[in-house]
Amino acid sequence: MTISNAPMIEMEVLPDSKWRTALRDHPLLVLGIVLIALVIATAIIEPRYLGVSGLRNTVLIAAPLGIMAAAQTILMLTGGIDLSVGMIATAAAYVAGNQSPNGAAIAIVLGLLVGVVAGSVNGVGVGLFRVNPLIMTLAMSAILLGLFTALSFTVLQGSTTVAQFIKTIGGGSFLGNRIPYNALVWAAVSVLIIYGLRRTGLGRLLYAVGDNPIAVRLAGIRIWQVQIAAYAIAGLLAALAGILLAGRTGAVDLQLAVNFLLPSVAAAVIGGTSIFGGIGSYSGTILGALILGVLTTMLTFLDAGQAIQQIVYGGIVLGLAWLYARVTGTS
Amino acid sequence: MTIEPGVRPLLSTRAVAKSFGNVIALRSVELDVAPGEIHALLGANGAGKSTLVKILSGVYQADAGDVEVEGESVRLSTPAAAVAAGLATVFQDPALIPDLTVGQNLRLTGIDEGEVRVWLERMDGASLDFGALIRELPLPLLRLLDLARALALEPSLLMLDEITAALPADQAEHVFTVMEEWRSRGNSVLFITHRLGEVMRMCDRATVLRDGRTVASVAPQEVGESGLVEAMLGEVVHGEPGAVRTARAGVGQVLLEAVDIGSGDKVNGVSFRLHAGEVLGLAALEGQGQDRLFEVLAGDRRPDRGEILVKGASLRARSPYDAVARGVVLVPPDRLLALLPQRSVRENLGLPLYDRIRRWFSVARDEKEKVADAIDRLSIDTRAARQAGRLSGGNQQKVVLGRWLTAGFQVLLCFDPTRGIDVRTKAQIYGLIRELAADGAAVLLYTSELAEIPLVCDRVQVLYRGSIVDEQPAESATEESLLTAAHGIRSEEVA
Amino acid sequence: MTAETAGRSTRFDWSTWLRRRGWTAGVWLLLLLMILWYSALIPKFGGFQIASISKNSLPLVYLAIGQAVIVIAGGIDLSVGAMLILSNSIAAQLMFEQPFGVTLAIAVLVILIGAVINGVVGWIITVSRVPDIVVTLATSFSLSGVALLVLPSPGGGTSEGFRAMFTGSTTGSGSNFWPSLVAIAIPMALAAWWMKNTRTGLSLYATGSSPTAAYLSGVRTARAKIVSYAVGGGFSALAGLSALAITGSGESRAATGSLFTLRSVAAIVLGGVALTGGIGSVVGAAAAGIILFTLSPILSAMGIDPNSAQVVQGVLIVVVMMVAGIIELRRQRAG
Repeated sequence: MTISNAPMIEMEVLPDSKWRTALRDHPLLVLGIVLIALVIATAIIEPRYLGVSGLRNTVLIAAPLGIMAAAQTILMLTGGIDLSVGMIATAAAYVAGNQSPNGAAIAIVLGLLVGVVAGSVNGVGVGLFRVNPLIMTLAMSAILLGLFTALSFTVLQGSTTVAQFIKTIGGGSFLGNRIPYNALVWAAVSVLIIYGLRRTGLGRLLYAVGDNPIAVRLAGIRIWQVQIAAYAIAGLLAALAGILLAGRTGAVDLQLAVNFLLPSVAAAVIGGTSIFGGIGSYSGTILGALILGVLTTMLTFLDAGQAIQQIVYGGIVLGLAWLYARVTGTS
Repeated sequence: MTIEPGVRPLLSTRAVAKSFGNVIALRSVELDVAPGEIHALLGANGAGKSTLVKILSGVYQADAGDVEVEGESVRLSTPAAAVAAGLATVFQDPALIPDLTVGQNLRLTGIDEGEVRVWLERMDGASLDFGALIRELPLPLLRLLDLARALALEPSLLMLDEITAALPADQAEHVFTVMEEWRSRGNSVLFITHRLGEVMRMCDRATVLRDGRTVASVAPQEVGESGLVEAMLGEVVHGEPGAVRTARAGVGQVLLEAVDIGSGDKVNGVSFRLHAGEVLGLAALEGQGQDRLFEVLAGDRRPDRGEILVKGASLRARSPYDAVARGVVLVPPDRLLALLPQRSVRENLGLPLYDRIRRWFSVARDEKEKVADAIDRLSIDTRAARQAGRLSGGNQQKVVLGRWLTAGFQVLLCFDPTRGIDVRTKAQIYGLIRELAADGAAVLLYTSELAEIPLVCDRVQVLYRGSIVDEQPAESATEESLLTAAHGIRSEEVA
Repeated sequence: MTAETAGRSTRFDWSTWLRRRGWTAGVWLLLLLMILWYSALIPKFGGFQIASISKNSLPLVYLAIGQAVIVIAGGIDLSVGAMLILSNSIAAQLMFEQPFGVTLAIAVLVILIGAVINGVVGWIITVSRVPDIVVTLATSFSLSGVALLVLPSPGGGTSEGFRAMFTGSTTGSGSNFWPSLVAIAIPMALAAWWMKNTRTGLSLYATGSSPTAAYLSGVRTARAKIVSYAVGGGFSALAGLSALAITGSGESRAATGSLFTLRSVAAIVLGGVALTGGIGSVVGAAAAGIILFTLSPILSAMGIDPNSAQVVQGVLIVVVMMVAGIIELRRQRAG
């Protein structure tokens, strides 16, 4: 038995209030306003923030998060989710750290490879074996943690600091210390993803699978292929984020990116990507990551303890999601 | 014709209006239902019938206007409030919880099982096991159960939204009997249907909606079917709307052949040949295995027995991909199964272009052109092009069909493509099907509206209990001849 | 006619029973086999071992029951773990060096706090129309932040009687396993009975199974959702209390919370609760909670180190889900 929605009615357009229409058609506008408001609030709390290093720090914080949230965005568009991004990032960074004595290139390639492999396994589980994405990626997270903890005593013993090149792209800046290198990486990734989602067949399919998988299947498309591709790409992006993060901190451990999991989901959600799939964009997620970045900076300036930070963080995520649902009529 | 003076209407609505966001569903609805009558609510698709029923059953709240029950203004804020006001509804999709048993469903709503059983017995449904899960029961039975549940609430007005759609003839008769009994007790029935024959036969009066407004309130017997259609469409319709058998191509090679296909106990040894240039109709009562047969043909399910041949070569599909790759495509029964509701019309139409990995890396160069072609050929209304889910039902169905125009195909499997679609769009869709056949495609068409088979098909086969029991040339097939065959055993009894 | 139909509905039908309850029964059977296996693996298996399994799995069992109630009603709560550490922190702070009677009153209070907070979360979800995952993700941040405020560093405590109530021993370790078995059985039985036999309980199944149909047939779906979250919150709080009884002091690490949340989701899925809502039972979820806990002692009895054990556990969960997926697929195909 299928429960169908009431068929929509032939429409006649009523004049809508102008700002509401503007916001619904340009949801990014809301986010932009929130972001600017937060920047201003931070500047009022700490005027020095508007100087070069303040904004630089925000971007430095937001870039790895933004890339990890890219992974989350892509999967959420397909109606999936990845609870293993934090652990994949950590594992990739750990391998990169361990391989750093062999040179930055090898370290980075092997690190990214870890991400692709873990992501593909997620994709096979979800796409071919129909394991629920929550469970599959949850289990992947547990497996990676156990595996790497065990390996850290054996095969992966050794270096826990990363190569200088990784430190530079992860934490360094150029143009007189104005622009962080990781922002460059983030920009490149952003261009690729935004273009890919809008202008490629795969992009179309990612949205389509999230919107109505049955329709996609009946249109003669093999959904499992799309899903494996999506999870593999997500793994790659998570790994990249992990390596950048390792570059920023300089050293790796098995807790490195674990705390990034929830913010990665939060950034995508704030950016207007529906957790049910089919709706959203990476541009929104970028703003979401920036908002979270500014927020973190602001709370640091306020000298708020860990506890207060968490409480506010939760409140803001909820508040923004609520506002967003209100204004756009979607969620 | 209005209610006789002096009789206080059981239910009346005054200037009821409703819009969803910026879509206007109802502008001004005036409806009077007298006590002790069966009242039809008519209108083309999108006229606002379902919206009105949902307002009267407390699902939606009207933006403006007044609803009165026995002269008292009532506020129907929830379905429970509507029931309390004496209005009970049987919706198009039975409001039963699939994962609970029949008994649990009744307990959930605090309804007496004995009462329901009494009504079920009257509708020949006494054998229903109250311990069975709803999801394990067939749709027609659920409709009857839902009706029995509504009756157990003893409403003064019973609202039936398309209850006879997809109901086999014998069960529809039971529903009619119960409706008459309900009227004889001094209660009323508001009856929504697309089938004008039923209106002529059952209803005392009819209210016709068009574009969200009441345009007529008449006695069906006085104005006749054509009068009702005229009121619904707002113009005189000459002849049958689906007279589209203009372009008939010669019959070509066999494109699709089914050899003794079987699937579970639903499909038993179906064989047929489908030629290029022909439209083969499939007629069947509800639940004769047609759903399963289409699933198998479309590659969505492997047949347990038999073989499917495409242009003489065997097709063993593991998923619809394999069927589509060979040019066998499906327009599924429920357009919500085929639509990407949140994506644009363009993305919907272009979807099948990306079925291979090598096409993933860019947007197909000819996508724009092909999509524009399909939109043009189907005259799809693109005012809501950003979200296909906001199109009207007819336009949604056109998008689903149009997808295959963009992608190209050889065999089109059409499952009830005009279910719940207004007359004008129906004619367009049938016209298109004929055109496609004329261009050399082969079409297998199942439709629940038997009267339309002679208009669009070349020949028609009848499916009964999973087997083909009869074949007739479409031209000479009538609703009667098809119904007789579709009842299988009965035709032998008659003979 | 009536007699015939009555006979039809009471006749016992194995295939129907298996289809409806097979998964739950299978999970309990699996648990039994695992305990038998465990008893064969270790040299001495007695009351102490049973008590150790039953009491230590209490927090996860309660969380799984709470999560199951919420998921059956169509939601999902990613803050159950945070609620656990919050209630654990509050209780440890308030119960420190109090007599048994007072700790009992505090326990009731803490459960109420959990229910009310989560009820509000449920209300926010229904009002805001923000998806459950997002709302509870956000509240999980906030709740663990509050926990950190309440109990900045591990500490606090409870009465001996309170510990004995859950663990069967005033020190939290002993061989009397009855109290902990009772502590599993009674809340589970109550929740299961409530879910399947009361109108409110059935309304949770209805809301999760088909919100549209439920609403149309007069169920107050928003209320059902709020109730499910409140009940789930109460169970999460109970889980925090049991954790306090086991360790004897409080702890507010956020990481502990998120680990518990993830396990609760794994437990209900293993226990046969469909993440899409409307299907499953708290009984299966409870058994799966014990199974997830029992895996670790078994693996360590087999000489597998804890890290590899975690890998094995993850792989097992995935394999079980794959098998379940394939069974479901077969069933659809055959249907």
